[in-house]
Amino acid sequence: MQPILTIDNLRAGIEGREILKGVSLTVRPGEVHAIMGPNGSGKSTLASVLAGREDYEVLGGSVTFMQKDLLEMAPEERAGEGLFLAFQYPVEIPGVSTANFLKTSVNAVRKYRGQEPLEAAAFLALMREKMKLVEMDQSFLSRSLNEGFSGGEKKRNEVFQMAMLEPTLSVLDETDSGLDIDALRIVASGVNALRSPSNATVVITHYQRLLDYIVPDVVHVLVNGRIAMSGGKELALELEAKGYDWVKNTVPVEA
Amino acid sequence: MSIERFNDNIRNAFGSLEQRINGAAGGALHALRRSALEAFTTQGVPTIRHEEWKYTNVLPLLASDLQQSPDSDLAAHDLAALGHMPDVDAWRLVVVNGMVRTDVSTLPEGDAAVTVQMITDDLLASHPRVAAAFGHITPASAHPFVAVNAALTQQGILVHVHGRLARPLHILCVGDARASDILHTPRVLILADTHAEATIIESHHTVGTFQALDVTVVEVLAEAGSHVRYFKLLHDANNASHIGSTAAVVARDARAVCATVVTGGRFVRNDLHVRLVEPGASGYLYGVSVLDGTSFADNHTVVDHVAPHCHSEELYKGVYDDKSVGVFNGKIFVREDAQKTTAYQSNHALLLSESAQINAKPQLEIWADDVKCSHGATTGQLNEDALFYLRARGLPEGDARKLLTHAFAAEVMDHLDDDAIRTHMVALIDEALA
Ligand SMILES: Nc1ncnc2c1ncn2[C@@H]1O[C@H](COP(=O)(O)OP(=O)(O)O)[C@@H](O)[C@H]1O
Ligand SMILES: [Mg+2]
Repeated sequence: MQPILTIDNLRAGIEGREILKGVSLTVRPGEVHAIMGPNGSGKSTLASVLAGREDYEVLGGSVTFMQKDLLEMAPEERAGEGLFLAFQYPVEIPGVSTANFLKTSVNAVRKYRGQEPLEAAAFLALMREKMKLVEMDQSFLSRSLNEGFSGGEKKRNEVFQMAMLEPTLSVLDETDSGLDIDALRIVASGVNALRSPSNATVVITHYQRLLDYIVPDVVHVLVNGRIAMSGGKELALELEAKGYDWVKNTVPVEA
Repeated sequence: MSIERFNDNIRNAFGSLEQRINGAAGGALHALRRSALEAFTTQGVPTIRHEEWKYTNVLPLLASDLQQSPDSDLAAHDLAALGHMPDVDAWRLVVVNGMVRTDVSTLPEGDAAVTVQMITDDLLASHPRVAAAFGHITPASAHPFVAVNAALTQQGILVHVHGRLARPLHILCVGDARASDILHTPRVLILADTHAEATIIESHHTVGTFQALDVTVVEVLAEAGSHVRYFKLLHDANNASHIGSTAAVVARDARAVCATVVTGGRFVRNDLHVRLVEPGASGYLYGVSVLDGTSFADNHTVVDHVAPHCHSEELYKGVYDDKSVGVFNGKIFVREDAQKTTAYQSNHALLLSESAQINAKPQLEIWADDVKCSHGATTGQLNEDALFYLRARGLPEGDARKLLTHAFAAEVMDHLDDDAIRTHMVALIDEALA
């Protein structure tokens, strides 16, 4: 089977500073990859470059998504093609209701895919169904997008949106941070419910905790802009026990 | 020079008004006009050297030969088409070139909790509250154009609300500029009795292609426990200029909610003064300007906390494209006696082009010590993080920009409790953003 995502020796930076210094990664259908790493190692930068944030400059390498050159595409095209980024810091957008935003988003993606816009009733039914996944209350729909939401509510809202858009590849950037254990469980079970043999998930996290609930096939450790180590799910536990210094010390910097 | 011609025009207009009203020239109303003319002569046309007109240059307006023209023959069906509000079922009071057109107005009858009538010498003599308010809430000394209005208004209108108004009252100020450059001076006094409740909409419309300047004065007296909603809509043509002054005096436990939407016109200057004169009074001031081309809009607001235990909230936003220019001047006074005041102000501007401009000046003067006051102002472009967030969710860049701009402006209207009017105002905003 063709990979969903192939990152080959990706280098990227901002304001003249190189942050990703040659990242390679292949994600196949049905897989869950975890990217772990200390703060500042470049995890969010990788997520942003994948989603198309223009502030970051791609300095070299390539990214292929579903046989297409991802780096050539505008952010909205990437979403249309089936890429979804759950933001580490979801943005508050006053004056745009969550429901209205979702409708605009879903229909924009449908339009990109050559589908008719969803009718109001069908859209409402879909929202109701997907909200249950993350145990979100109806009242959120009429509130401004993320405005005044708690940390946990924002993260749940990200997974809710992911459920609505049914992406081929979801990149979850620290979706676990700031969540208490109950919220973590809800978010994780939402993500798990959306898994299928034809899609894939990249879970970025600082802590091993989330991986008890979303069990990865592969764990990568990103240190200083490079994947310093990859392994099975046991790697996460080992990291948890030994700390990131262990990776920094055992792996040659140019590995 | 244009200022001299304008001064001459004002004096001549005053002279012909005096002839028109003939016998009434000795009455109390005309005495008000006469002293207003003196006030205008003393103050003179403001230039940008005046602090309150620093960014607001009226001289280009006076390049036209603006003349009063009270005899308009605008056809009823032309007037009926103006200021239509599909969502709002309102009574209409149509004023053309400063004169009420009863033939096209639809006014409440019977015990509708409101009476609308002309302010006459007899009325002033028999109605001390009207006499105390008219020309006193906004005196001719307030600024030179208020004086122009007071000197030249032939028909002042009293809107007297006794109870709970069943429908909004929509006052349309129409300028008939089909034949020449015109000056018109609508004037309204809104008297809301104790516990009365009223929604008043004021809108401005210019017919014809000559230059039109309307100088409008609205005085509002909100008696104890009353609730006055006052909405001002300016979406006029680009030969239309507006200098408007609204002042509300708000008594014990009364509430004045004012919202101003500017989405068109060549030049707009709005003065809005809210005076909270007894404990428990509250004032809410909302404004949205959406400008493009070379339009200009100046919102000058004053919230005056005279009494203790009063509350005010003010939120103004502007979206400026092309070479448009906005001014926001927001004064909050908290007088020495006004302890336990809460007063909040914020104004935010979105500049969509490099050549658009906003001049914002918040000004807080606080003489009481036990108060909670705050103000905040921002000027900027669309939030890049928000833009990226929306695009990452599939919205094309143009759509994402439109959605954010709409949200920025329309959010102000979320503060209004009247659904129909909010819908109408948001529609105006959207039309201007499209
Ligand atoms: N927008 C930015 N401007 C400047 N530096 C940035 C920006 N984003 C990230 N960086 C820098 O890049 C490095 C990696 O950051 P980030 O990708 O957020 O790491 P992580 O998500 O792994 O904690 C950090 O040193 C950070 O300061
Ligand atoms: Mg991060």
